[in-house]
Amino acid sequence: MRTERDKSGVLQFSFTRTQGDFVLDVDGDFGPGITALFGPSGSGKTTMLNCLAGLFRPDRGEIVLNGRDLYRGSTKTFVPPERRRIGLVFQDGALFPHMSVAGNVRYGWRRTPEGDRRVDVDHVVELLGLGPLMDRSPVSLSGGERQRVAIARALAMSPGLLLLDEPMASLDARLRGVVLSYLRRIHKDLQIPMVYVSHSISEVLALADDALVLSDGRPVASGQPSRVLLDPAVGGIVQDEAIENLLDGTVSAPGGDGAPGGVRVGSVDIVTPPTGRAVDAPVIVALGAEEIILATGRPSGISARNILPGTIAELEPVGNRVYATVDIGVPVLVALTPGAVDELGLVRGQDVYLVFKTSSIKLLDAAPVAPA
Amino acid sequence: MSPDLSIVMLSLRVAAVAMLLALPIGFGLAWILVRKQVRGRFLIEAVVSLPLALPPVVVGYGLLIVLGGRGPFGGLFGDGLVFTAYAASLASAIVAFPLIVRTFVVALDGVDPRLELAARSLGAGPWRVLLTVTVPLAYRGLMAGALIGFVRALSEFGATIVVAGNIPGRTQTLPLGIFTRIQAGDDEAAVRLVVVSIGLAIATLIAHDYLLRRGGLAGRRQRAGFGA
Repeated sequence: MRTERDKSGVLQFSFTRTQGDFVLDVDGDFGPGITALFGPSGSGKTTMLNCLAGLFRPDRGEIVLNGRDLYRGSTKTFVPPERRRIGLVFQDGALFPHMSVAGNVRYGWRRTPEGDRRVDVDHVVELLGLGPLMDRSPVSLSGGERQRVAIARALAMSPGLLLLDEPMASLDARLRGVVLSYLRRIHKDLQIPMVYVSHSISEVLALADDALVLSDGRPVASGQPSRVLLDPAVGGIVQDEAIENLLDGTVSAPGGDGAPGGVRVGSVDIVTPPTGRAVDAPVIVALGAEEIILATGRPSGISARNILPGTIAELEPVGNRVYATVDIGVPVLVALTPGAVDELGLVRGQDVYLVFKTSSIKLLDAAPVAPA
Repeated sequence: MSPDLSIVMLSLRVAAVAMLLALPIGFGLAWILVRKQVRGRFLIEAVVSLPLALPPVVVGYGLLIVLGGRGPFGGLFGDGLVFTAYAASLASAIVAFPLIVRTFVVALDGVDPRLELAARSLGAGPWRVLLTVTVPLAYRGLMAGALIGFVRALSEFGATIVVAGNIPGRTQTLPLGIFTRIQAGDDEAAVRLVVVSIGLAIATLIAHDYLLRRGGLAGRRQRAGFGA
């Protein structure tokens, strides 16, 4: 918990809201990066976003964005949603069906005072690859396209904070990679702080700088995602999900005709199934944490094609698993049994090898590179 | 102006004034019923629907008592509303009101409230959300409600004759004019007005269809999306 230290983030909050039997009681701050709001369904994530956006009114407490009071119970301050400049992306996009894609994207921009327009609509459209869709009706779009339009619509009003409510919940795995890389790109490019609701640990690990874990309406952990999500207090949630590493890369060898593919992730080359993509195409490597074997020495005479050296950065026991974060240039999460950790005598800082088969890898589409 | 034409003009005016009264109030009430958690909702709905279930004559008699010289609102309008065209409008408005509210409720219920919330978060105040999201999305249903209300007001008879009387040139609308001519045995004049009445009904339906077609992007996109 970070409540003891000084709140210094972009957004500071401390509020309570009661809805029937459910009580949301949160306290904390969000930084300028991407913060993941994590927790099982019914833990209060969406209620919290709605309070931040001003769609719900808290019972008491305070919400302060960049030094401006958005809500303060003691002085009865309540800034209505239309004057908060907080972008909100709904689960399924909530696009206006009676407007074109362009009409949707410009809706918030039009209502932004000229002096507050820091984001260029054309730039956002290009960043999210929406150019060819602008004249279409939202009802004719695919799920991934809808989410991109919803994100563009929220960005076009130059929000001081972008809230995303499980933007990938309704997308299939292939599209998740695309939206994920678009979100990374947006954040890098526009520097808008984001709060990202998710119940996928893989997504959170791939995207977020920070994480806040809610359980039953209360924050139970916060901090660096790989630490927080593996926190024993959160263990109950983690055990339910097969964690995947989602690694950004570019195709180095397309493969095919019996030859494997290759993807460069950071400074390492990973042998993958044939990519079906051109060289230099952006791609996301999905690799299950359970699929990786950890060896203390370089194994020989082994059929697995990927043997990558790395260093153990973290070892976190969670339930009946120990999660090792291994730095191979990028952090990779490996699931181990406590028995294996004891037997191998694994410790933090130890040099190890990651071993995994080509067939354990799935390749996901990443967002195409925006034209320069 | 021929007496027939003046009857038609009066009928249109009475119905138009009735709509001026019933549509905004009906919209407001429907919006509250759909979007707000109100206590005594059942009671409100029952009261609103009552004129639908009662014989219009009863509604007219009720109005006569309330607005009449000895009624609680009798002195409110100088010589009183009773036996004026405004009384005819009021009677028509009340009889058409349940049909309008019921159709509006269905229309507004079809608008996803999250779209309104999304518009709020994008910087639109409540009134702008109403004009740019709620009304365009409910357009077809709202048009249908307005049409049904207008047609009902045009054909109002029972309540009107009690509270507004049947004064030629002042309160004698089409249905009353037809009734009077039938009573007088003037079949030719009655049939003339019946034909006018049918023409008016058809014209209203055509106007409604035209307004739906040029419902702008809203109508077109909705048809493209859900009509196919």
